[in-house]
Amino acid sequence: MPNNPTHLPLIITGAAGWLGRALSSHVAHNADGLGVSQLIALVRDSEEQALLQSSLPKDNNLDLRILIGDVTNTPDIDRLFASSSGAFDLVHTAGIIHPKKIADLFAVNETATKNVMQRALHRGARRVVHISSNSPFGNNPHTQDTFRADEPFNPYLAYGASKMGGEIAVQESVSQGLNAVIVRPPWFYGPFQPARQTTFFSMVKSGKFPVFGDGAQRRSMVFIDNLVDGVCRARAWEGEPGRGWWIADTQAYRVSEIVETVGRALTDEGHTVKKNRLRLPHLLGQVAETADGFIQRTGRYVQQVHVLGEMNKTIACDISSATHDLGYVPAVSLYEGMRRSIRWCAQQGIEL
Amino acid sequence: MNSMQQIWDDANESKMSCEVLIIGSGAGGSPTAALLAEAGFDVLVVEEGRWVEQGTVAPFSLDQMEQQYRGGGVTVALGLPSIAYTEGRCAGGGTEVNSGLYRRPPTEVVERWRDRWDVRDLDPDELMKTATEVETDIHVTHLPGPASVPSQLLRQGADALGWKHDESPRWMTYPDGNPRHGQRQSMTRTYLPRAAKAGARILTQCRVNKINISHGKATYADISLANGQAGRISFKFVFVCGGAIQTPAILQRSGLRKNIGQTLAVHPTVKLSARFADAINVPDDVPVHQVKEFAPDLSFGGSASHAGLIALSLLDQWSDFKGAIEDWRNMAVYYAAITSEGRGRVMSVPGLVDPVVTYRLTARDRELLRSGLSRLSLLMLEAGATEVYPAFRGAPIVRGRKDLATLQKRFSANKASVMTVHLCSTVPLGENRDLCGAGSYGLVHETKNVYVNDASLLPDAPGVNPQASVMAIAVRNARHFIAQEKPHA
Ligand SMILES: Cc1cc2nc3c(=O)[nH]c(=O)nc-3n(C[C@H](O)[C@H](O)[C@H](O)COP(=O)(O)OP(=O)(O)OC[C@H]3O[C@@H](n4cnc5c(N)ncnc54)[C@H](O)[C@@H]3O)c2cc1C
Repeated sequence: MPNNPTHLPLIITGAAGWLGRALSSHVAHNADGLGVSQLIALVRDSEEQALLQSSLPKDNNLDLRILIGDVTNTPDIDRLFASSSGAFDLVHTAGIIHPKKIADLFAVNETATKNVMQRALHRGARRVVHISSNSPFGNNPHTQDTFRADEPFNPYLAYGASKMGGEIAVQESVSQGLNAVIVRPPWFYGPFQPARQTTFFSMVKSGKFPVFGDGAQRRSMVFIDNLVDGVCRARAWEGEPGRGWWIADTQAYRVSEIVETVGRALTDEGHTVKKNRLRLPHLLGQVAETADGFIQRTGRYVQQVHVLGEMNKTIACDISSATHDLGYVPAVSLYEGMRRSIRWCAQQGIEL
Repeated sequence: MNSMQQIWDDANESKMSCEVLIIGSGAGGSPTAALLAEAGFDVLVVEEGRWVEQGTVAPFSLDQMEQQYRGGGVTVALGLPSIAYTEGRCAGGGTEVNSGLYRRPPTEVVERWRDRWDVRDLDPDELMKTATEVETDIHVTHLPGPASVPSQLLRQGADALGWKHDESPRWMTYPDGNPRHGQRQSMTRTYLPRAAKAGARILTQCRVNKINISHGKATYADISLANGQAGRISFKFVFVCGGAIQTPAILQRSGLRKNIGQTLAVHPTVKLSARFADAINVPDDVPVHQVKEFAPDLSFGGSASHAGLIALSLLDQWSDFKGAIEDWRNMAVYYAAITSEGRGRVMSVPGLVDPVVTYRLTARDRELLRSGLSRLSLLMLEAGATEVYPAFRGAPIVRGRKDLATLQKRFSANKASVMTVHLCSTVPLGENRDLCGAGSYGLVHETKNVYVNDASLLPDAPGVNPQASVMAIAVRNARHFIAQEKPHA
């Protein structure tokens, strides 16, 4: 069980992102317990700054500094690290998944990560937590397979390749002495979710969530609060640098089970849910995947095609080393997490 | 050896008779012969291959392949990709040439066989008791000392990744206590001498071409001897134990076809060679450690690795890989084996000595081979390999983790050297007539006295090294036969 460090500044990149806001909000609520003396948040523009501020509790006594800058811009990274003197911790959540063009993926997820890690090394970061993904590892070879903590790279399309580049950059810095670890969330959900995620609920509600074949594909999922817990534990862990953990629910779910649970959560929150009847042949998933690959090779990106292409895959991961090393146990179940997400949407005035 | 007096290396009679004819002296045939002879039956074992005394050829050598394997070890199941398979052809069959790694059939596998194929009275506990007896008979034991370096490397790599592994026991004795001086307790050392002692006759270099059956009753077998001479052996009962490829071929040549040779199951295997900074090669033995983290879907282990076999494993991408061969002393070959959803067929074709064999991998099998080869490569890197050479056309040399992405991208099962040494399920046993070629104790359906008692009977591949399963089932069936037929004899 990791112990939290004594009061140190915490730098969060991508602080206005989905995970960034959830993490910042958690830190704002628990700064003392987590041993955070100051939160230094990097956001891209004033719009993001406002978004982040609106996500934080009103009456916190957190020492908060928000910096506007871009991780792809080296002077901005320098400014970010110059803002803390002495030791600090860093959680590098900045990354993009649905880019305008493919080159952006590599600029942010790979090159910027490399620069951030190198700066963190030279500025004497105490501990760095890098947020990666399942995508450097592709998908499981069959529905019953589960990814172990350590797997060979098999990047899924350009996003996977760029996140793999990020992991390799982290490991290079680790070999030069950086005290960094990697957290790999698979599909996560919950408060602060971007607008695109609400289509997920609307699809389930209208009975049109794409279930491929017999729906036996399995997916690991994680509620955002569980993920934040995992990130905090990784930050406090005192073992060997270079380690990586899956942070997810204990078991992966069958896609049909996910659709059923979300349907139940929606019903219990007072929504009318139609029976899901969008059963698609496996072939369509393959077609979407091929199309996605083809489109991406032209340097472009179409989100719907990408998501559809990924839905007929099994991405299941084994969290036992996170439990063993970090004492991580997912506290919020899928059903409960979905209910909280639906309620959060309602509070934000988001129509489902 | 005195008790071997009855073993004729050259038969000169063209007509013989016996009460029970056993075709094939491998893991299935030999215990059957011993138990039946000890129960008082008049047993004649015929074996196509020669009697090769252990120690007269180097284990795992090319010389051994030449002498004790069918087709010199080069036999191929057609398909995309083709799958190379090997069968022992000598007194003792596969047990003389194999790695000797002993794995009981997992309980859930036995239950699956019982339930899905409807095998009567196949009780997992009873079968394990039988397995225990076999273990005593063939001296199944762990190493008396440290494992060979290639075996330890496998273990180290698995430890570094936190992957489960264990040491497989082997049918071996270690007369001087040195783990490098093991003597394989194959059939020519165990059940065959026992059979001979109990009065069984053993005839080597005698091939059965077909069995003559009318109205479900078999009466004699047509044979040919090494010198080309033809002959005939008449019998009251026949046990076909030619292995999972030859047994269905013999039955088909004899006119039996229903559920025979349609469901060949194998453990498809891909390989790599790993190069280390130091000399680690052990030419005359194989590793005993196996990585079971992903079992039963995937298992990793070590293969025979003399210089010739290392060259063979580099062949697929020879233009890039050939430089490594000079360093063979620092190298060893490892495998990733999968359980396969695919199935194959064995078809005897008039005019051809050997049957035509085909096998089709499913999409899942192919993905699993990819995943297996890359996970195994990762393990070798963790074990300290400086370079890993995966055996498929277009493969990269793997020097670091980034290269694993290239490996996975370039891999396709069609480009790989897929092979197998575990063949089974061509005459599945059980009462389910839609699936089974033989009854619950191996009596071929629609016959009165034709039994199968070898690897062909296993309903599907056990997901572990199969010889223990083959032997336990063979002993079970032999006992049942004795109980049924002895009172009438
Ligand atoms: C290289 C290699 C390594 C292996 N390693 C292992 C291992 O480590 N552990 C394990 O459990 N299993 C291993 N196996 C598999 C194991 O050897 C087989 O599962 C087992 O031998 C099968 O027994 P069987 O009786 O069905 O056939 P076999 O043992 O193959 O015996 C069949 C015999 O019948 C003879 N025959 C065939 N046709 C005729 C005919 N027409 N007339 C007369 N005789 C005939 C053949 O010559 C042969 O001797 C390995 C196999 C090989 C080839």
